[in-house]
Parts: sequence; structure tokens; C-alpha cells
Amino acid sequence: MSSSDFEYPEFYSFPPFFTIQPVLSTREKQMALWQELILRYHTEKKIKTLVVHDCPLWKNESIGRQLSPEDIGVVMTEFCKSGHGEWQDDNETRCRILWRKPEQLATDIYQWAEANQMINNVCTVYELHSGEDVNGMSFQGADEELLRRALSILEDQGKAAIFKGDTSEEDGIKFF
Amino acid sequence: MAHRRRGVGVARSGAKNAKIQKKADEMKAMSLQSAMDTCQTLETKLTEFAERHRNEIQNDPAFRTQFLKMCAPLGVDPLQSKKSFWNGVLGVGDFYYELAVKVAETCLATKARNGGIMSITEVQSMLAKRTTRFDFAGTSSASTSTSKKKKKKSKDTYSEEDIKLAIKKLAVLGNGFRTIEVGNSTMIVSVPTELDNDHMEVMTLAKNMQCVTTEQVCEVTGWSKSRAERALQLLLQEGMAWLDKYEGLDFYWFPSIWKETMEEEQS
Repeated sequence: MSSSDFEYPEFYSFPPFFTIQPVLSTREKQMALWQELILRYHTEKKIKTLVVHDCPLWKNESIGRQLSPEDIGVVMTEFCKSGHGEWQDDNETRCRILWRKPEQLATDIYQWAEANQMINNVCTVYELHSGEDVNGMSFQGADEELLRRALSILEDQGKAAIFKGDTSEEDGIKFF
Repeated sequence: MAHRRRGVGVARSGAKNAKIQKKADEMKAMSLQSAMDTCQTLETKLTEFAERHRNEIQNDPAFRTQFLKMCAPLGVDPLQSKKSFWNGVLGVGDFYYELAVKVAETCLATKARNGGIMSITEVQSMLAKRTTRFDFAGTSSASTSTSKKKKKKSKDTYSEEDIKLAIKKLAVLGNGFRTIEVGNSTMIVSVPTELDNDHMEVMTLAKNMQCVTTEQVCEVTGWSKSRAERALQLLLQEGMAWLDKYEGLDFYWFPSIWKETMEEEQS
């Protein structure tokens, strides 16, 4: 998906969207809209990391509005609280975007395994995020660490077992 | 004439009275009968008309409005007539109830971002975007609709009149559903918040200017700063206005008005 494909929501052109709202109920709505926007932007473009000083979302040139650095902080803190983002460093400059939460991802992977006769069969971690059979799946191109978290959930549920390969990408997964 | 001559006799006054009474009763009965006949005819004619133009009434907002105007002086209100023959003929009673539900749903769904106030234009376009079209009491009249209607924009499926009528039905339920006029546009308010003249004036101003500052409000209205602030603060508290801090100034924007402007630009 190229950058021009992303369809900005209508409220992205609403100037007050770029000012943190003083009234609580309005602010809650505003934060929910920001979370939705950040998540959809990164999911659709398959971007795994949000670099705070380099994210184009904070500024809408066409209406001459942008979030102030403090307000970006507020939005990002709320975003991480939603469970879809995790700071990768202590300075909070890089944020891992969880397209799907690990639990959702685990369910997606298992459903895919069922649909593709992978039960009692083995595939590699590499095949899971970059294989030919995962086209259009939510975990296609997913962050490896995130994938492993989802897989360990499946392991805990007794739906999968992971065994070591030569490299981490060659680790195998067997579905039950 | 024979009646009259005989009636002159004083001795026969008792009989005369009885006769007059009888005649009066006859005439009453007759005029009642004729009135009933007239009503019957009217009902039949209206039914025929309604049946003949059923599709137009259901699908063409302009026609529907005209039809309702025609019914009004005859004392017939097809909208209220869920139980009457109108329902059987038209299902019009259902039409407005269902529309009322849709309007209410739309208002409530957007309440978080507009504070419970939105323009009829926006409601119209949101309803038009919904894929499910109202099924008229099981009639599949859509297939037979004329090409004229197909050419019409889907936005016209519900006229402003239709939505206003639907709101009237909602108003009965309390909860503050009502319409207000802001400048030249009609807004639907779905919250019980009392809006006084000051609030209305601020919104009318915002309608012309897109957004307002406290200073602009004072300048145009001649109000004191505190009066302008009071009005703006309530609108902000209610979520009807959003704050936009830009270049050191506080601008107040109204999602309802902003959305309407966007709709108008699109169409």
C-alpha cells in the first residue's frame, strides 16, 4: 500500500482535533479518534514502529494545524494505555505498534492453521510472517517478537509447540 | 305547501310539532347520511389516490410533502394513523416511526463528538449512506420505482420535512429531541440541555464564520466579555463546541456546523 492510498478520516481536517480538549468527555472522544487513526495508519501501511519525531500524523499542512510536542506526549501515552502500543526505549521516542493485540493474533494464527490443514503439521516462524500462504492475514509481515508472544499464548493453551531451529527464523511450530 | 297550510291551524299544533319534529329528524338523518356518504366517497377517493400514487408517496419526498398538505385540511393525518386504513394502504405511519428511530440512532451515535447537536443535512447524508433501505410494510416497490426517482440523488430519499416530522414523534418521548434554527439551517438537538438566545446567537455567528473567538462574539453582539464567555463555556462543556488553540488565540468550533459546511461543499 503506497502512502497516497491512506484515506484520512474526516475529523483529521477538523482544526480542534489538534488541540487537546479541555472538557473531559470531549477529550475522551478525541483520544479514541487519535488511537483509531494511529492504529489504522500503521496497520494499513504495515509500519511496525512509530518514531515520535518522524511521524507525519501530527501535522496537517492543509489546515495549518499540528499537535504541540506536549500534546503528542499526551496522545501517545493514551495510545499505549489502549494496549496497541509499547515503548521500545526509556526516552519514549520509538513505539512498537501492535496491529493486533497478541491474544487476537494468537486466535488469527490458529484459525489460519485450521483453515490451511496445518493442524498436526509444522511450519517455521519465517513462513508465518513472510510465507506464501499468509497473504492477507493479519500476521503477514508482523513483528517477530509480537509473533512469538502470540505463539507462546497458543503454547500455553496447548494448541501449539515451538521447537528450536538453526536460526530463530527457522524455529518450528507444530499446531495441535 | 300542503304541509304548511295544514300546519297553520292552532288546534293541530300538537300534531304539527310532532310532524316538524319528524321532518327535522328525517332531515338530520339525511344530512348525516349525506355527510357520511361524502366522507365515504372522500375516503374512497383518497384511498384510490393513495393506492395509485403509492410509490410516489413512499419514494418521492416532494410528492409525499404535497400529499400530506392535501390531507391536512381534510382532517386526515395519515402519519398518525397507524391503526386506520391508511396503514393498510400506505404503511405511512410506520414510515415515520422507522425514520424517527433511524434519526435517533444517528443522533446518539454521533453524540460523543458533536455534543448532541447536528444539522439535518448531516443526518440526511448519513442516512443516505446506510445501505439498508426501509422496507415498506413488506412491499418491494423499489423495483417498480420510476426512472425519475433513480436519477434523484439518494440524499433526497428523506426530505427535510420528513425528518422534521420524525423529530416531532421523538419529542413525544421527552429526552429533549427537538429542532432549532441556526442561521439558515435546521439543527437537531438530542440532549435536554437548555439553549438560550445567547447560545443560539453564538452558533448563528459561528455558522457564518466557521469558528469564533470570545472577542469576535463581543464585537459582533456588543456583549460583555463575561456574557460571551458564559455562552461559549456552556457550549464547550456540553461538547457542542471544540476548542482550537491557534497562534495564541482560542477559537471555538462546532462539529455540527463544520460538518454541515463540509456536506454542502461536497454536494
